[in-house]
Amino acid sequence: MPHSTHRKTIMRLSDYLPIEHITMLKASTKAAALSEIAHLLVESDPKLDFDTLIDAIHQRENMLSTGIGQGMAIPHVRLNGVKRAAMAVGVVRDGLSDYDSLDKEPVYVVIMIIAPEGHHDTYIRLLAQVAEILKEDELREAVINAKTPEDAHNVLCTDSS
Amino acid sequence: MIATVSAEVDPTRLPALVVIGMAIFFGTIFARLFQLIRIPQVVGYIFIGLLVGQSGLNLMDLQTVNDLQPFSFFALGIIGFLIGGELHRDVFRKHGPRLISMLFGEGLGAFVFVFVLVGAIAFITTNSIAESVAYAVVLGAIASATAPAATVNVLWESKAAGPLTTTVFAIVALDDALALVLYSIATSCAAILLGTETSALSTTIGRVAWELLGGIALGIGIGVILNFVMRKTGEHENTLALTIGAVALVTGSAHLLGIDMILASMTLGCVIANLAPRRSKRAFETVERFTAPIFALFFVTVGAQLNIGGMPGWMWALAVSYLAGRSIGKLAGARAGAKFSGASQSVTRYLGLCLLSQAGVAVGLSITAGHRFSGDFGTAIISIIALTTFVVQIVGPPCVKLAIHRAGEAGLNVTEDDLMREHTVNDMVDRGAPEFSRGTSLNQILRTIAQTQATAYPVTDTTGGLAGVITLEGLKESFGSEGLTHWLVAYDLMEPAPDVVHENMPLCDAVTRMRDQQIEFLPVLAKDGSDLIGMLELRTVTRRLSEEVMRRKQLADASS
Repeated sequence: MPHSTHRKTIMRLSDYLPIEHITMLKASTKAAALSEIAHLLVESDPKLDFDTLIDAIHQRENMLSTGIGQGMAIPHVRLNGVKRAAMAVGVVRDGLSDYDSLDKEPVYVVIMIIAPEGHHDTYIRLLAQVAEILKEDELREAVINAKTPEDAHNVLCTDSS
Repeated sequence: MIATVSAEVDPTRLPALVVIGMAIFFGTIFARLFQLIRIPQVVGYIFIGLLVGQSGLNLMDLQTVNDLQPFSFFALGIIGFLIGGELHRDVFRKHGPRLISMLFGEGLGAFVFVFVLVGAIAFITTNSIAESVAYAVVLGAIASATAPAATVNVLWESKAAGPLTTTVFAIVALDDALALVLYSIATSCAAILLGTETSALSTTIGRVAWELLGGIALGIGIGVILNFVMRKTGEHENTLALTIGAVALVTGSAHLLGIDMILASMTLGCVIANLAPRRSKRAFETVERFTAPIFALFFVTVGAQLNIGGMPGWMWALAVSYLAGRSIGKLAGARAGAKFSGASQSVTRYLGLCLLSQAGVAVGLSITAGHRFSGDFGTAIISIIALTTFVVQIVGPPCVKLAIHRAGEAGLNVTEDDLMREHTVNDMVDRGAPEFSRGTSLNQILRTIAQTQATAYPVTDTTGGLAGVITLEGLKESFGSEGLTHWLVAYDLMEPAPDVVHENMPLCDAVTRMRDQQIEFLPVLAKDGSDLIGMLELRTVTRRLSEEVMRRKQLADASS
């Protein structure tokens, strides 16, 4: 049996995604959804400025939408004021039709990732790991259909821990 | 308990350490200033020597110069050792017969022309055939000597390589021996003519043989021992101490035994270079790095001991005729010798120009003559050589520089470090390096990376300024995740640039920054702003410099 020489380090998403960072979104637009999720991150890091974060998120969205298709969006940014890498998740029951995702379909799950400016490796690995999880049809459906933050947390964090 | 050390201090003279420090410090500053106006650094050293020596402020009087004599001997030893290192057996095999012809041409040319001109002027001023022939023969013999130090210093400074350079190295190394032979015979003749000779001719021949053969034997003996010890220890850190020790041992022993110290140390260098070419390369490189302050001190003391004031008119006349005869003799003799031997055109044309300097050997011989012949004759020999040394030490080094440049041999013996000092970042920046805007997709980035060789790519903002860099190292995490390639952009993948340089920065400074920070690249900005103009990659710089060194080496080899 061939032996793989490259072993990827698996990160524990639960280290970056506490259950308080997951919400069932009330917003119906992309801007409102991003703002609501950004608030979750700012609340747990008082030194993080909301306006700076949301400006950076929008600046990044203007370059290319982070709606990656199949109902998923992963807005992400690196910022100087961020203390440590963190994630926040919003689940939208009715979907965000204005997200301008790659497949032009509504977005149901928004996973926001932030990291300090110098933490390039952590940032990319978080993005890669989230993308890997969402590639699995079963897991993706489970997150979209999550009824509570606990349901979403179980799906996203159990698999990687 | 703290011991108090007191020393007798002569209030009229500066302490030796102050003089040494002053000579090296100010000598180096003046040398650098002279270099800036394209005059060889040797002239700068000698100039400061003149300023502080007998001809100037007399801060460095003859007694001080004598106190520093061991340093001067050591400097001559180092110079001889480095010249010997240039004399590989290939040089003798390839150029041996030619060298003999050119050596006799330039040496005897100077002797003959000085003999005739000085003899004529001396006869007019002294009205004595015996005395005028004595002047002619002694000054003629001294005229054959060439200052190896000042000459090769310019060759090293010019990073010269090629047939002319090789020939000059060999000639200045060997004409010391020729000058000694001629001088020994000449002083014996002069002594007979002036009626002061007491020793037989056989004694003179024996003394010359002892000086020359003793020098060669001493150099070979210590050289073989040094080679053996270096082979046994094989440690890099011992190389400098062993080599310097061997040079000092050879020079000091030669002085003690009354044999030619330059010839001895040159033989030492020659033996080491030929017994262990590869290992000795390290020894020569190590010693070369150590030489700058020694040379500074040596040449400053050369300048300091020149006393050109208070000479009567007839001595000036003899000095002028000596200078004219020596210059014409060197130029014509070298040309004739080179032509006769079938040397290349550049050697035939420019060898004479490289052999005008005179210093240590000539001054040393004149002082010996001064000791041997009391009265006006001895004083005149010392004064004439001092005055003419002053002139040719100022004129000689620029002539060497001119000749080397005319022959196209300057800058052919360079290392990567030398080239780095010559270039700015602008010369090596890759202006066509691919760059990404912040919104470039990972897919596009990966396609570009697949088609190019760079290890880092700049990312620019909307105004063309540098926003960050994407490195292969930083990308490796995203390579394994197929899902990322569609929706990540350069902005997500870029990292802050570790450092930036401007295009007009010296290349050596930029490379030092990369090495210090252990980075392989640097974004390059326009000299007058923040616009990105390209990337500087360490491996590209190293490769291009190596290629240039090889090209110049091949050019020098091809013309040999």
